[in-house]
Amino acid sequence: MQAPTPRQSTIQARLPFVALFLILMAAYLVINLANFQFFPRSVRQELEKIGSSITNTTLRVPAERGLIFDRDGEPLAFNIVQYRLGVSPALVADADGLSSQVAEILDIDAFEVYRKTISENVWEFVAGPISAEQGEAIAALDEIALGLEEIPKRFYPQGTLAAHVIGIVLDEGLVGSLGVEGAYNDTLAGRVLDLSVSNVPFDLPEERPAEQRGQDIVLTLDRDIQFWVESELQAAVDEYRAFRGTVIVMDPRNGDVLALANYPTMDPNYFLDVEDPSLLENAAVQETFEPGSILQVLTVAGALEAGIITPYWTYNDDGSLEVGGREIWNRHFRAQGTTDAATILIRSLNAGAATVGLEMGTEDFYSTMRAFGLGRATGVGLFAEDAGELRIEGDTNWNESYLGFNSFGQDLKVTTMQLITAFAAIANNGIMRQPRIVKQVISEQGAEDARPTTVRRVVSTETAAIVRDMMLRVVREGAPGAFMRGYSIAGKPGTAWISTAVGQEYGPHSSIVTFAGFLPAYDPEVVVLVKLDRPNEYYGYNVTPHVFKRIADRLVILLEIPNDEVRRRLEAAATDIVVGGG
Amino acid sequence: MSQTWLQHTFSRKRFQTRNQATALAIFGVAILLILGSLYLSQVASFAITNREIEDLIRRRDQLKRQNEQLIGEIASFRTVPRLFARAVEIGFRPASNNDIDYILLEGYNPQPAVAPPDRAALSDANGAAPAYDETFSSWLERQFTLLRDQFESFGK
Repeated sequence: MQAPTPRQSTIQARLPFVALFLILMAAYLVINLANFQFFPRSVRQELEKIGSSITNTTLRVPAERGLIFDRDGEPLAFNIVQYRLGVSPALVADADGLSSQVAEILDIDAFEVYRKTISENVWEFVAGPISAEQGEAIAALDEIALGLEEIPKRFYPQGTLAAHVIGIVLDEGLVGSLGVEGAYNDTLAGRVLDLSVSNVPFDLPEERPAEQRGQDIVLTLDRDIQFWVESELQAAVDEYRAFRGTVIVMDPRNGDVLALANYPTMDPNYFLDVEDPSLLENAAVQETFEPGSILQVLTVAGALEAGIITPYWTYNDDGSLEVGGREIWNRHFRAQGTTDAATILIRSLNAGAATVGLEMGTEDFYSTMRAFGLGRATGVGLFAEDAGELRIEGDTNWNESYLGFNSFGQDLKVTTMQLITAFAAIANNGIMRQPRIVKQVISEQGAEDARPTTVRRVVSTETAAIVRDMMLRVVREGAPGAFMRGYSIAGKPGTAWISTAVGQEYGPHSSIVTFAGFLPAYDPEVVVLVKLDRPNEYYGYNVTPHVFKRIADRLVILLEIPNDEVRRRLEAAATDIVVGGG
Repeated sequence: MSQTWLQHTFSRKRFQTRNQATALAIFGVAILLILGSLYLSQVASFAITNREIEDLIRRRDQLKRQNEQLIGEIASFRTVPRLFARAVEIGFRPASNNDIDYILLEGYNPQPAVAPPDRAALSDANGAAPAYDETFSSWLERQFTLLRDQFESFGK
């Protein structure tokens, strides 16, 4: 065997080192590979993110907002799509032709579009929001340089109808505000989704998860009743040249709000055009006012319940009463002599109500007002509901005169919703139902009914019956404007003076007038509260009973409420009725 | 002295063509080419199908939007003021209380109504404060009697 040359010897001598080096390098790579497999979670996620950023694109998918319907399934709030149009000037082949086509579809100046198609910028905004039809016509051009971006938009097909109940949506259809849109925003909004979409052409396209969509809401509102109530309210505000007005219609048996109208109102489709921001306010729950003599009913009910007075109780009315250093006067400053509780309500005697309140004392009086829900929000389910203002003994600025003035509804503040809820409790035999505006929530899993809930028993059935009979007499003797042929109506008008920082307002347009009534009085199916702000007539009994009557006239037809004679025959025959035209 | 594995590895030898190995290599390349082209055609088919699915999803969303748009338009046409105006136009007028007749059907009574007291009783109560013969103690007494009767009948 030939001896190795010196070169071969050198190579042979070095080879083990080279081999060892390669083995070590291989071992290092294997260890690193193994180590890579067991990276900490955070590092792995970071690496995965870097990797997926190359193969994936993140798309922000706006959630489809849930719809709003009235109790009969008529749509009140819907989603429509609008578009925003942009152009990539670098991709435009025929600027002249493209701009004239786009301008024709959008009915805009062709030169403006042309100027953008020849711009030096990478991207130019052309127009928006544009309608769905225009967007589809643009898409049909199949022009690579044009880009359409969807803008979700809320559409209210009924226009101004129930505007304050429904509310509005801000931020390109994403955030609900006011009304049900605001109060139930979390339910309606759904989930905005950041969807990672693969750029790899053979990956299956991503589907939107179904649960991303917002839930639909069915309201207790009746569209037909709402329309008539709004029409009558508008007519009343115009007729009595009132500053504004509110009407609520409620079913006392379950607390369902059948109609809620404020006038003047706004169109939620064009809420940005509203010049007076107060028009966006839902006065029925957001505006507080001193209710005035309408509150005498609650004072008398509380006194009857506490056993302080009976229907036979009388007092000597001097026409005025001094409480805590302040003078309380009756309407027209008249003394009434020996007077009973019913007459206090019929003649709306402030001194009488204050006498009852003083006999009750602070504890009984304020616990009654609390029980009727004053001083706390009703929880009806509308945006930014105000709790009102009820100062009780021990509160800052409270003094003895408050008890006297509170007894006939001054020096305290309520919302219209609180007031009707209190009267609904009397109509419902003393049991207060939670007022509600949402009847049902519909999700992917199915429909969930909001069950009527009882808040508390405010007064006994007996007390409620006594007060109801007094209110029947109020309509017959004190507010004949509310009288309806064939129907027993229980009600009470109210007049409240308006207190300002500098004292009481005086003059023809210086009162808030109200009327609360329910029918049929012996089996109430509906409670109506009318409130007009600063009408040209000072006293409520001259104004609101007429408005109530006009609304009640329509309600008995829409709700198919038979008159008393039919109800009597019905009970006698133990049969029920079928409604027919005559 | 036998060759070490290193000497064997690095020993210089003349290049020899081996027919069998060459055939195997060519066969391997051919297999790879076939598999490659099959993979590419499959990928192309996937890409086309996915593009079609994407188009269908887009079309579906567009139809859904158009449908909602139509429902909105129908709702706008069905608003109460519009229906009311149309009804008046063709000769209808709002019904009043007097236009409603109630027909009593004997034996049909799903929701019993509470009747008001008759007019005579109401007019009696007009002058003075309302009279009530029922008090809480009489109600309690009545409830107690009812309960006692129930227990007695149960005992029998």
